[in-house]
Amino acid sequence: MSVPAPGAMRLHLKKFRKYVAPALVATLLLWGASTVCRVDLGALLAGMPRGVALFGHMLPPRWEDFPALAGPALETVQIASVGTVLGAVLALLIALAAAGNLSPHRAVRELARGALTAERALPDLIIILFFVAIVGLGAFPGVMALAVCSVGMLGKLFADAFEEVDPKPLEAMAAVGATRAQIIRYAVLPQVFPSLIANTLYRFDVNIRMSIFLGVVGAGGIGFNLVMSMRLLRYQEAFAAILVILVLVVMCEQLSDALRRRVLGQEVLR
Amino acid sequence: MLTVKGLAKRLPDGKPLLRDISFQVEKGEFVAVFGESGVGKTVLLRCVNGLTAPDSGEVVINGDGGPQRVNGKTGKELRRLRRRIGMIFQGANLVKRLSVLENVMTGRLGWINPSRSLLYGFTDQEAERALEALEKVGVKHLAFRRAETLSGGEMQRVAIARALLQEPYLLLADEPVASLDPKNASAVLDCLKPLTAQMAIIGVFHHLDIVRKYCTRAIGIRDGVVAYDGKPDVPRDVLNAVYGSEPRAWPVAAGQ
Amino acid sequence: MNGTISLGTGRRKAEQRHRRYYERYLWTGGLLVFLFGWNAAELGLSARLFIEGLPHFLALVAEMFPPNWQVLTGGRVWWGILETLSMAFMGTFLGAAVSFVLGILAAGNAAPSRAVREAVRTLMAAERAVPTLVIILLLVVVVGLGPFAGMLAIAIGSVGMLGKLFAEAIENADPKPLESLESAGATGMQVIRYGVLPQVMPSFIANTLYRFDINLRAALFLGVVGGGGVGFDLHMAMSLFRYADALAITAVVLVMILLAEKLSDYLRRKIIGQEVLQ
Ligand SMILES: Nc1ncnc2c1ncn2[C@@H]1O[C@H](COP(=O)(O)OP(=O)(O)OP(=O)(O)O)[C@@H](O)[C@H]1O
Ligand SMILES: [Mg+2]
Repeated sequence: MSVPAPGAMRLHLKKFRKYVAPALVATLLLWGASTVCRVDLGALLAGMPRGVALFGHMLPPRWEDFPALAGPALETVQIASVGTVLGAVLALLIALAAAGNLSPHRAVRELARGALTAERALPDLIIILFFVAIVGLGAFPGVMALAVCSVGMLGKLFADAFEEVDPKPLEAMAAVGATRAQIIRYAVLPQVFPSLIANTLYRFDVNIRMSIFLGVVGAGGIGFNLVMSMRLLRYQEAFAAILVILVLVVMCEQLSDALRRRVLGQEVLR
Repeated sequence: MLTVKGLAKRLPDGKPLLRDISFQVEKGEFVAVFGESGVGKTVLLRCVNGLTAPDSGEVVINGDGGPQRVNGKTGKELRRLRRRIGMIFQGANLVKRLSVLENVMTGRLGWINPSRSLLYGFTDQEAERALEALEKVGVKHLAFRRAETLSGGEMQRVAIARALLQEPYLLLADEPVASLDPKNASAVLDCLKPLTAQMAIIGVFHHLDIVRKYCTRAIGIRDGVVAYDGKPDVPRDVLNAVYGSEPRAWPVAAGQ
Repeated sequence: MNGTISLGTGRRKAEQRHRRYYERYLWTGGLLVFLFGWNAAELGLSARLFIEGLPHFLALVAEMFPPNWQVLTGGRVWWGILETLSMAFMGTFLGAAVSFVLGILAAGNAAPSRAVREAVRTLMAAERAVPTLVIILLLVVVVGLGPFAGMLAIAIGSVGMLGKLFAEAIENADPKPLESLESAGATGMQVIRYGVLPQVMPSFIANTLYRFDINLRAALFLGVVGGGGVGFDLHMAMSLFRYADALAITAVVLVMILLAEKLSDYLRRKIIGQEVLQ
């Protein structure tokens, strides 16, 4: 047995650093996490029959509940759409201040960018709970929360889109004596319109799911019906709510997908 | 109409581009500006309508409101001046996603009530004027196409129509026919030429035959100063001086 | 004569077209504004509500200050943070592991058969349609309240997206190296191991880290519906009107999120940077 050549030694060391050490760390972390999470395969196995039984209890869904669920379902969609539109309008205004080429001043731009970044860092749950605490229960806090939650992401995407516009038409508008607002209206917005719409529609998809969750904290919509039915162990009711939620999510996604494709499709045609 | 006096402009790196440019243009004149590529013709035109601020010297416009200095003005005053100075950019600079008609109508932006223009757009009268202007430059049939679908020559003509809608008394044209074939080029120039009845036109041109045929005067720029200012029938030795010694820079016979 | 007449009608037609164009524009805009207003009214939104809420808002913000750092001394909150982090980490890991297998089974160029591929694809698409709320509510019945349920919900919730992205990455892998392996007599498994995986691992890892960022935020939500973690403490503090407590917890949560994002960013750059170098 001889000592390995220095080159081979280095190779071993490199391999250790690259694969073995991270694997060790990951294993340790996983072990720790599973302890904290109280991972219990026994409980999972024991729960399986309960899960099967749950499906038994859920079937058939209570068909007579569907008409009563239509209202909350509609409310969920309304909260999501109104919240998205409010958020998008707010985001548009902030983005105008945050885009380097449109912002009235450097300081304004940094401020707006900072606000957008801060909002994105803030977890949505905190915003939702905050609005529920201020305004109380109902759709209003839900709408406000969704609007604020959307601002950070949409504002950044909008501002980036603004910064990427072709500057030449803006100059042409300035040369005919247009005001800053007119330049934005006639030279900037036409250029970014498809991307604004596509991003807003994408955010609508996100907001539909969040709007379903809003019901849990009492901010209106069908999530409330689902949680209540589950808590009261009325599983057939719950299943009806789940079915409505699934249809809602899929329908909204299809719709926004179709609209997005239409808006962006015009681009591809050119 | 336009007086440029002692205009100087340095590049951002400090190198002087325009050093001392002075000339005067009156209504009815069709002035050709020529000079080597990169000599600062575009910069000069941009100084005239205030898109670029000169380092020194002055640009005075004598339009509808008495003599007014362009450089130094900002905001509303500058916009008021600009709305009657038409500019045709080297690359047309249309808003690609708007229709041709809308692009032309944006020429009215300096005239119409800003808050109305933000919401609704333009009235039928403006559309009618835009169509007239498009007809004048021979592309009325394109009115409802998206600007991005046009060819370069078509774009250039739409840009001319847009400038016409400003009712300008001074029209700055940066190589307006550079991307047109000879037939289209003469068509466009034929419609520019009669406009000199109401305005002064300053155009950048590279073809001697065009300058001879349409312009009333030519201004040659070299090394940041006016090297020639006189008849459109520019003598060959002047050309050689302005363009340096290589005659290839002046495509005398090109285009016809 | 003829010419002028035809020109005139042409212009009229063009003007009509212009009018129609703007009418359509106005109608669409009007309809959207109307829809928005109608929906807002239906939800009981009004400027009055907004204005009335404002003093309330200020009062609440005032009540939050100064934050009650005392809540952090008990260890409860720190345990909640640890639970949330563990749920997100373990859930992402488990979800990624399952997605790894499902992704291979769902990729057109790696799946053992069309039927398997279609089945797995459908399964993943179905999962993407199910909101995490539904998943956690069902899981709570199966394994009871607590972080285990939350962790499982995160794992299941990640599979749809990660599996789909992984499958797409595999399908987009450069086929030439695979062919050369095949021609050298490698088995299907070997081709995947030595031809496909090296190509798609960077994107898989990047997506997994990205999903971890999402899951950490989702883990906060799960606390509210019985999934354990600091989200529960936050919800409790808010519903018991302990706003100063809530602010202190919020501060810690924010720091946790920012640090976690920094870490995942660092890892992403480090791991993918290495891959690119090779
Ligand atoms: N904003 C700017 N920043 C830096 N350099 C500039 C800027 N604008 C113009 N220049 C430079 O100034 C010089 C003159 O430019 P200008 O566009 O006026 O040339 P031109 O005479 O119009 O040439 P051409 O016939 O090719 O259009 C060029 O060298 C150009 O690179
Ligand atoms: Mg030029």
